[in-house]
Amino acid sequence: MLEMKKELPEIFESFAEARQKGFLAMKEIKDEGKGVVGQFCTYTPLEIFMAAGLVSVGLCSTSDETIPEAEKVLPGNLCPLIKSSYGFAITDKCPYMYFSDLVVGETTCDGKVKMYELLGQIKNLHILELPRKQNTEEAFALWRAEIVRLKERVEKDFGVTITDDMLKEAIRKRNVERRLLKEIYELSAMTPPPVSGLRQLQILFGSQFKFDWNEKVAELQQAIDSIKAAYAAGERPVPEKAPRILITGCPMGGVTEKVVKVIEEAGAVVVVYENCTGAKQMDRQCQEEGDPITNIARYYLQIGCAVMTPDTNRLELLDRLCQQFKVDGVVEMTLQSCHPYSIETYTIKTHLQKKGIPYLHLETDYSTADIGQLATRAGAFLEML
Amino acid sequence: MNASAIVAGIDCGSAACKGVLMQDGAIVAKAVKPTGWNPRETAEELLREMLLQCGPAAGPEGIPGGITVIATGYGRVAIPFAARAVTEITCHSRGAEYLLPGVRTVIDIGGQDSKAISLHNGKVLAFQMNDKCAAGTGRFLEMSAARMGVTLRELDGLLESGESCRLSSMCAVFADSEIVSLLAAGKSRQEVAGGVIDAVASRAAALAARVEVGLPLLLTGGLADLEGLRKALAVQLGCQVKTSPLSRFAGAIGAALS
Repeated sequence: MLEMKKELPEIFESFAEARQKGFLAMKEIKDEGKGVVGQFCTYTPLEIFMAAGLVSVGLCSTSDETIPEAEKVLPGNLCPLIKSSYGFAITDKCPYMYFSDLVVGETTCDGKVKMYELLGQIKNLHILELPRKQNTEEAFALWRAEIVRLKERVEKDFGVTITDDMLKEAIRKRNVERRLLKEIYELSAMTPPPVSGLRQLQILFGSQFKFDWNEKVAELQQAIDSIKAAYAAGERPVPEKAPRILITGCPMGGVTEKVVKVIEEAGAVVVVYENCTGAKQMDRQCQEEGDPITNIARYYLQIGCAVMTPDTNRLELLDRLCQQFKVDGVVEMTLQSCHPYSIETYTIKTHLQKKGIPYLHLETDYSTADIGQLATRAGAFLEML
Repeated sequence: MNASAIVAGIDCGSAACKGVLMQDGAIVAKAVKPTGWNPRETAEELLREMLLQCGPAAGPEGIPGGITVIATGYGRVAIPFAARAVTEITCHSRGAEYLLPGVRTVIDIGGQDSKAISLHNGKVLAFQMNDKCAAGTGRFLEMSAARMGVTLRELDGLLESGESCRLSSMCAVFADSEIVSLLAAGKSRQEVAGGVIDAVASRAAALAARVEVGLPLLLTGGLADLEGLRKALAVQLGCQVKTSPLSRFAGAIGAALS
């Protein structure tokens, strides 16, 4: 069994107040004796950690603050998410990374896989081998075995036993979260939507940093109720005529909110996110009856992502959301040097072209230097609609 | 002059500020100025200059009421007296349709960016921009000309020989030192100039390939009157490349029509 980290980092005093708060909140969790698992990817089966009574937290960083540190080791022409996440790990500047007793990564893109090898030198790391096909028996068998292996690693590291009943309860709880988050973003299927795309993103992104399940569920329900009530009372924060945009591509949050801002400042509204931050992880429910490990494996393996080949599930979800949300255009955001998503932009573009849905690809990174250029592209795209 | 019917289009680019006054669909005045450090002031002077071309209606005290100003280009948001701002993508398309009705592709090589637009009836269907790197832009060409001790106009003259040598670097900074090396190695200015133009044309052609080139194709922007560039582009794209004497004003015309 591993020894859990409970002390603040040495450079704690140098942090600004907001970050100190983040560290203190995590320290409180640790002082209660709870273990923390950090993860990077929507494919990570959070039910395993939940069943073990652990706190799980997303470690994908969204700021360029630590990229210079990371580039002392990693190549410059690598995706900013990978560089920044690694940078936060080596500088002790992220409370979630710092307090993670176990970090779980998947074999998704090449950049992440090789970065994890280096991360493993400084953090207690477990790698899940994610297949790249979603519809063969062998791929499913491998993935199921990987989930069993993860369960065993968690049991060993944290000295717990995870039973089927615990897993079933975790599946049920995660389904409740998924249903509530889906209910929130589906409110924007209305015309006009009751919230801006920026607000929706902040709710979706923020929900992953609420660590008490009961509180989280209550807060989500509250958010739904208050949005509905305001709408019923006639509040219309978004004009009826605003063009309706779907965002797809790489995960979003933090600095990349700039993409949503330039779209909405140009007069459109983002109604739905078909990415890791949005619909992708809440669209379906995990089956509750039957063998929980099999159900978990089946649920997660079917998530659409550019790391899969062929990535038919992404197109299926994209089509469905375009219809349901009556979108006028699709904007894809990719992070610089993200090969899977950048290459797949062509597939997405031609697929949407056939359906007559306008498409814009924006490539960006974690700097703010390109806001003018993004605004010109987004503005021109909206003028096209 | 009936000032109420006049619309001003101002295309405030990174290098030059272009303007037109239009009345009943006709251009009644036009002017160009280096953008300089203060786009707002430059645009104001430009407008005043154009109004003077139309007659004494415009006093020095400012913009006469009744004239609608529409701004485009990178400086579009810096012009407080503009009624609205429209992106240069939309404006170049509308302006190109005005200059060459039926145009299907626009290639604009500007000071700090280059773009390719596919359009139909003046409406944008798809566009590609290169604006994070100086490779293939007017700035790249200007810098290369300066390195060879010639003006852009003279550089165009050097291209008449049809000679060319290959530049291996697309990066504006590295190409600069490569030009020095090539000249030092005894390459003629004609050959180096040919290499520079080919580099710009191949970048523009690569952008155009991503939007699907339809004909006719119009070259717009400040470099459109460089005959050598037009020819090099035609070779790279394998199709006819048209220009207009007013190509430089395409963005401003499009703004006035927006």
